[in-house]
Amino acid sequence: MRLLLIEDDDILGEGLRDFLTADGHRVDWCRTLQQVAGHEGEPYDALLVDWQLPDGSGLDWLRGRRRRGDTAPALMLTARDLLGDRIRGLDSGADDYLVKPFAPEELAARLRAVSRRIAGSADARRLIGDVEVDLAARTVWLTGQRVELTSREWAILEALLLRPGRIVTKADLERLVLGFAAEWASNAVEVHVAALRRKLGRAVVETVRGIGYRLGGGQ
Amino acid sequence: MKPLTPPSIRTRLTRALLVSSVLWIVAVAAAVWLTVHDEVDELLDDTLQAAAEGLRGPLSQPLAVEPAAAAVTPAASGSGRFAWQVVDHLAAGEARTVAASALAPAAPLRRVPSGGFSDSDEWRVFGIPLADGRRWLYVAQTHAERQEALAETALSAALATLAIALLAQVWLQAQIRHELLPLQRLAQHLGGRDPEDIGAALGAAERSELQPVHAAIDELTRRLALRLARERAFTGHAAHSLRTPLAGIDAQLAVALRESPADLQPRLQRVRTAARRLHRVVSALLTLFRSSAAVHPQELDVAEMIPRLAVEGLAFEFPDRLRLTADADLLAAALLNLFDNSLRHGASRVRLSLLDRNVLRVHDDGTGVRPEQRESLQTALGGRVDASVGGLGLLLVDLVARAHGGSLQLPAVEHGFAADLHLSPLQPAA
Repeated sequence: MRLLLIEDDDILGEGLRDFLTADGHRVDWCRTLQQVAGHEGEPYDALLVDWQLPDGSGLDWLRGRRRRGDTAPALMLTARDLLGDRIRGLDSGADDYLVKPFAPEELAARLRAVSRRIAGSADARRLIGDVEVDLAARTVWLTGQRVELTSREWAILEALLLRPGRIVTKADLERLVLGFAAEWASNAVEVHVAALRRKLGRAVVETVRGIGYRLGGGQ
Repeated sequence: MKPLTPPSIRTRLTRALLVSSVLWIVAVAAAVWLTVHDEVDELLDDTLQAAAEGLRGPLSQPLAVEPAAAAVTPAASGSGRFAWQVVDHLAAGEARTVAASALAPAAPLRRVPSGGFSDSDEWRVFGIPLADGRRWLYVAQTHAERQEALAETALSAALATLAIALLAQVWLQAQIRHELLPLQRLAQHLGGRDPEDIGAALGAAERSELQPVHAAIDELTRRLALRLARERAFTGHAAHSLRTPLAGIDAQLAVALRESPADLQPRLQRVRTAARRLHRVVSALLTLFRSSAAVHPQELDVAEMIPRLAVEGLAFEFPDRLRLTADADLLAAALLNLFDNSLRHGASRVRLSLLDRNVLRVHDDGTGVRPEQRESLQTALGGRVDASVGGLGLLLVDLVARAHGGSLQLPAVEHGFAADLHLSPLQPAA
């Protein structure tokens, strides 16, 4: 998943970024809301937002983003543990609320849970024709046989799985898969999609000519 | 030890009033007695003299009757309260009763002529000469009669005083009760007051004497509310300042565990375990010392809480339902500290059970403590002395129990260590 992490604490931010990256996510880490402004318009699979930031409230930022129609799953990461704070956080558009200190493993699990809910299923397993995908275990089977994917191939498959039935533009897919700062070869997405089709069958990813890609298998 | 009941204002005032009433009655009775004694004496003397003056006319007529015949009481003898005699004083100190009333003695009241008032053993006598200076009229009254009149008058006065005193006592009692009502209302008002409400003032007192008390309470409440607000703000900052670095440490350790060579991993894992213990202690401390953390008891199922509180390295046994009434956050803080305690004492298994209504037992299979150590821990918790004896964990658990009106009890168990969390006031043994 491509994640936007807003956390002003260097030690925590760096730890979370590295942990989630090692988990296969692409993490854009911002320390301030000013930095976040530079990422406006970027597509994210989930937002990890600290409440108290040096230049403002993460909660207010999230509320504004929701008002503008952003539906990306959001998790509040905060030291505020009062019931009233938790309620405010969730009412302001957060999909989950994690009180510091938390284990990064729990954050990763909650991210997966939130994503599943947003994708419309409580089950981590998905079927695309003969292809079975376990989002939690990051594992793929084709007609019962396990298939190994590269991290980029997995990222493309995951991005499409989290947007079932929706067309994802090539530009968005590039940014979702690689992140904000990365530089891609112009045909990188096509190369990885082709590799996915080679491993899992042509039907797993549909090309919507001139626009982008969509999950195949009638999803 | 049974706490001493403070003295009651009402009782003390009543007692003081009673004593003052008795003293007042005695003083009034003495004054009445003295006054009445003089006044009644004087009145009776006046009456005696008036009677003598009244009888003097009729009895100045020559008496041609024998003394016995003269004993017929003339109208002037009045109500029978007086006796009179007409006595002829003869030569050589002899006297002869010429006439007398029925109440008069047979012997002359005076042997020698005696004008005005005089007393004998039994009589108070008033004498006046009748005709030639030889014949005298004596009107007399017994001392007993006079004392009786005096006593009757004094008794009436005393009874009236007593009645007034008793009525005054009843009225004053009612008045005291009435005047103490504002204190009761003040207590009720204070009982329902939110200490965090800075704007809530008691306002004008119902009695001027209570105005300084109102002012002092208002000032105290204002300072308390400000202090609570400051503490809350501090706790918010403290929470952020403590929790965020702890989360950072854990995240860095989680990454380090993934990236480090295998031989370093046990050491890193131990560091992470210690860091998580620190999480639990900090979380419990922040929960406990948050000023706004008034206890919010609610129906809880501890069995549902345990999976969220699970501590690595401990297996839990508990029935399907463990329902009790407690503040969820405080109970979680207490349980985390007990679990942490179990881990530190080598436990691998913790059993939770409900002993009674709102009494939760947490029993581990760790090394436990020696009986004398357990007793000293219990004493330290009970007396809140030398908190270091029990360590921070048990002290926190005890504070949670006390916040619920209960206490932490450390029962003797055969194996391991047990803690009974009484989350409501201890019931007296049947």
